[in-house]
Amino acid sequence: MDAGERWIRFLRQYGPLPQNDNMFDEQIRRSASRLGVNPIAFKHPLEDAVLKVFDGSVTPSCLVLTGTAGDGKSHLCSQVWHQLQGDPGRWASNDVYFQLKPTINGRTYTLHVIRDLTGMPDDDDGARYTSKSALLVELSSALFDSASDVLFLIAANDGQLIETWRKLGPVGDAQRARELLEARLMGDEVPGPESRLQFFNLSNVPSARVLELALDALLAHEGWQACISSPHPDGFFGPACPIRKNFELLQTPLVRSRLLDLFRLCDFGELHTPIRRVLMLLANAVLGHPDARERLMLPRDVKEVLAKGTRHQASLYSNLFGANLSATKRESLEIFDYLGRFGIGQETTNRVDNILIFGAEDDNLKHYYEQLIATDPFYGATDRFRSAQRAYVEAPEATTGDRHDFLDMLMEQRRALFFKIPDELAAELKLWSLTVFASAGEYLDDVARPLQAGERVARHLVARLVNGLNRIFTGLLVSTDRELLLATSLSFSGSRVSQLLEDRVAVSARGRPEKVDVVLRKGFPCLEVTLPNGTVRTLKLNLTRYEFLQRVSQGALPGNFSRECYEDILAFKSGLLAAASNQAHTGNTGGADTGGELSFRLLSLDANGNPIDDVVEIADA
Amino acid sequence: MRDVKVLPPPRPSVQDENAMWVDEQIWGHRLWDAQSPWLIFLEFLTIAESRHRDHALFAGDLLDGAGYPVAVSFKPQRRMHLRNILYNNETLFDVAERYPDDATAWRKWLEWMQDNAQAVPNRDFSYLKKRFNSFKQFADLVGMLRSSTLESNTNKRWSSRFVFPFGSNAIYEDLNVSGAGPSREYIYFGRPGELLYQMLHRSARANELRLHLESALQRRDPCDRLLALMQPEDQGDLQTRSTGYLPYASHPSFDALATDWLSLFELNLPRFDAYSHLATLGALHLMLYQLVVAADRIGSCDPYFVCEVVAPRKTLVRELSGSSYMQNNQLPQQAVEHYVRTLAEKPEWQAAASDPAGFTACRQLMRDHVRWPSDERDYDGPADADALLIALRRAALSRHRQHVANVHRSYGGGAGLVSRRGTNRLRYAPTDELLKTLILANVPTRMEYGEFLTVLFDRYGLVFGEREAQQVLSSDEFDKRAFQANSERLEVRLKTLGMLRRLSDACAYVENPLRKTAQ
Repeated sequence: MDAGERWIRFLRQYGPLPQNDNMFDEQIRRSASRLGVNPIAFKHPLEDAVLKVFDGSVTPSCLVLTGTAGDGKSHLCSQVWHQLQGDPGRWASNDVYFQLKPTINGRTYTLHVIRDLTGMPDDDDGARYTSKSALLVELSSALFDSASDVLFLIAANDGQLIETWRKLGPVGDAQRARELLEARLMGDEVPGPESRLQFFNLSNVPSARVLELALDALLAHEGWQACISSPHPDGFFGPACPIRKNFELLQTPLVRSRLLDLFRLCDFGELHTPIRRVLMLLANAVLGHPDARERLMLPRDVKEVLAKGTRHQASLYSNLFGANLSATKRESLEIFDYLGRFGIGQETTNRVDNILIFGAEDDNLKHYYEQLIATDPFYGATDRFRSAQRAYVEAPEATTGDRHDFLDMLMEQRRALFFKIPDELAAELKLWSLTVFASAGEYLDDVARPLQAGERVARHLVARLVNGLNRIFTGLLVSTDRELLLATSLSFSGSRVSQLLEDRVAVSARGRPEKVDVVLRKGFPCLEVTLPNGTVRTLKLNLTRYEFLQRVSQGALPGNFSRECYEDILAFKSGLLAAASNQAHTGNTGGADTGGELSFRLLSLDANGNPIDDVVEIADA
Repeated sequence: MRDVKVLPPPRPSVQDENAMWVDEQIWGHRLWDAQSPWLIFLEFLTIAESRHRDHALFAGDLLDGAGYPVAVSFKPQRRMHLRNILYNNETLFDVAERYPDDATAWRKWLEWMQDNAQAVPNRDFSYLKKRFNSFKQFADLVGMLRSSTLESNTNKRWSSRFVFPFGSNAIYEDLNVSGAGPSREYIYFGRPGELLYQMLHRSARANELRLHLESALQRRDPCDRLLALMQPEDQGDLQTRSTGYLPYASHPSFDALATDWLSLFELNLPRFDAYSHLATLGALHLMLYQLVVAADRIGSCDPYFVCEVVAPRKTLVRELSGSSYMQNNQLPQQAVEHYVRTLAEKPEWQAAASDPAGFTACRQLMRDHVRWPSDERDYDGPADADALLIALRRAALSRHRQHVANVHRSYGGGAGLVSRRGTNRLRYAPTDELLKTLILANVPTRMEYGEFLTVLFDRYGLVFGEREAQQVLSSDEFDKRAFQANSERLEVRLKTLGMLRRLSDACAYVENPLRKTAQ
């Protein structure tokens, strides 16, 4: 087995194999040493921050590393162990609990290291602690005692962390510690005095950042050089090899940037993908093929793939969505669920389908066809595609069965197009209409990017969002977009149709505090409403909500898109109404209690969809 | 046995028209099945409003000097002018449309009212003319208020229609209006609201609740002020009524109800958003009260409710949910049977029954305890104590089955717990609305998902997940996978309702959606 083969064999270990997740790191390490290959390695984005806790540059604190499986908790934990000169032999053992006595800035601490909180036994064979719960209670107290010499480092899954502390019950400082941990986990502001806690939720590292690092590390791996320098005569890494093609595609800036866009959108929707899953996705993208063993190719499989002419089934474009996997397997892996939600392959426009179906012969579409499909003889204009396309144009009804083969090919091609349409053509060909989220491009380019650069979101975009909100808040097809209409029904603020106007909030009002804006809060785009009384209410504006509001503003009915979004927005309205009336201490509806006057503002629409509030006033003697 | 303080029965003269007194001694007078959660809530409000008017909300002694329970007396409002305007007045909108001239419109309408208004002394509605700027405006506002009618899609007589309880001017009792004038019938207001009032009054948190209710009743909501404008100052004489008997001076069920109501009040929801949740919780706790009291009586453990989160296909959980429904449905009847048995075990009864000439004594003893049999029509069997007992059992059960036995289904259904959704069998399949109510009542800001399931189990006996199921089911009924799937379906439901956030595969939080936005 040459170096190239060994590398591919090793890379395959990262893919979606039916192996025990808990043993993942171990397995990778073992197969790396067996095959004599270096594992894919990059510096964890939080490494510097984590190592700083004990390096003496600051007063050391207790350290909690949490996140979901595969986020790199164990890895960072071992980094700290090495930093503090822990014995590598002990770390390699199966033990989950350790003690160290590091001296930091002249002071000696007792550091309890728990690298697997759930795996930690209730009683210690070595009698280093009396019971697990007693130890955790002691550690809880250490969090709040600035004079304490006790430190700890705990690595745990977020759910297990909270569950473990919940089980401790209200003993000592355990309750307080749990509240602190929970608040940190949920990203709440923690009131009260500073605690001795450094809390790292590794799931907060943007997956897009992880993808960049993983891509760089994967593509720069020396294993590829070995493959390139010695292609096999039977096809592996030869000119027709799909593994080679996929590797090359992954290097192209366009594929990289589109993939990153998808990851960024997931991040904004709080859909987190751990490092392990990112590597899995990439390994699958390069090596996937439905006919291979465990649906991942080895070098020796290439020969058969070429002989049977099933190269198109190894396409990176389809593998990225898990098309090589069984439906059950695909559904069990979150990353494919997340990417699947974009509906890439199923969604399309007439224009794009016309290019694919008629582009080769149509003079108006030909240049798109040439640029996007004909130039790619590997996965694009293959003989297989051309003949199926001709057959389809001549006889769209399938000869056998009820579905034409070509329709499945269209899906593959649309997926490929998502990664092929260059930025210059993105607007013209409505790139993002190839996904469920037609406004995703706008969301990235005109909302997220300016906000992250410290700029403002364009007024007309805010106006459209406000218009969408107004239509949901009132249940009427209003056209108002320069003020927010806080409407309610007589008795119930969350009712679908609300025709009593409680308040109007101007999008921007000179000299008054009230405003509606899109801002960045903790890295997330948020819709922020400042009420006339100065109270601020925010709504996280993830891609789904953005798309929802845009669609409603374009005329879609609120109930049609996403129930979850609809409920969220109605709850947001209830929150706004509560904030508006609590502050004013009136607690009334559709008008104010102005002395002896009683007034109701009934909302109706004029012919242009402008709201008219019909003020009914009565003297209340 | 839970911490319960039992009261002695009321004087024999109280509610002496009742033919029998068995269900009432177990649960009170009375649980009435034919009443929706909203109507129970409205009935409760009529008492609360009256007591508040008399500065006696949640005040008063439980026992009188002679040691008998005191009934709470109250004078509910009738508001016949308002009800004629809102619900006995089909011509109003016709007139508004047909006569653009304001003076004519008023004249025509007042004439019509003069002929058609019912149950008001002089049929004079002319006070309205001074209070509204125009007839059109008046009609528009009546239309607006009518849109808030509760349960407006039911086909009830006009005197049993209710405007939303915006404030004290919107609260009135159910009446039957026939030739002889308005009369109180215990059909739509069948006294469970009276029990609800007394339960809250006797709860450990009555004082805290009083403050919230007082501010709700004093709230000068524009809608309430508008309703006041539609009524004459003089509402005429009101009749005094007394609440039915509630046999417990204190009961954990009362406290649980009060705690939930308080949680809802403390959320400070906008408008009257809390009320529908209060109504749901009222019915839910009355149902729980019935089953818990029954289970206690017969010495059985607390009832539990296996809840199916509706699945597309038939599941094991659905089956178990159906059988836990059947099991609970038997409890009240078993309590009645148990009551009759205990009567026979009393030493006085035993002594009289063993005396060959003791039948009369037995009959008298029975009359003293259960007000039955009053005469030969009730019992004309042999002069034998055992035969008399059998007859009592039969009569008590047949009376029980008419209404009280249906409370479990009726209130459970009204609260959104009991349903036949997707099947032909009754079972526990909570609606989204009920889930939302439970979250608002139990999750101050957020709560870990597993903890939330534990709370629902501890406080209400609701079983969704495997951990809870394992505690109540036998090992051959319990199936871990089925309950895991059930709990996953619940998670998905809560997520679509915007009330759950999953952090990772191991961690999810239930969130109070109204607090979430109020950070």
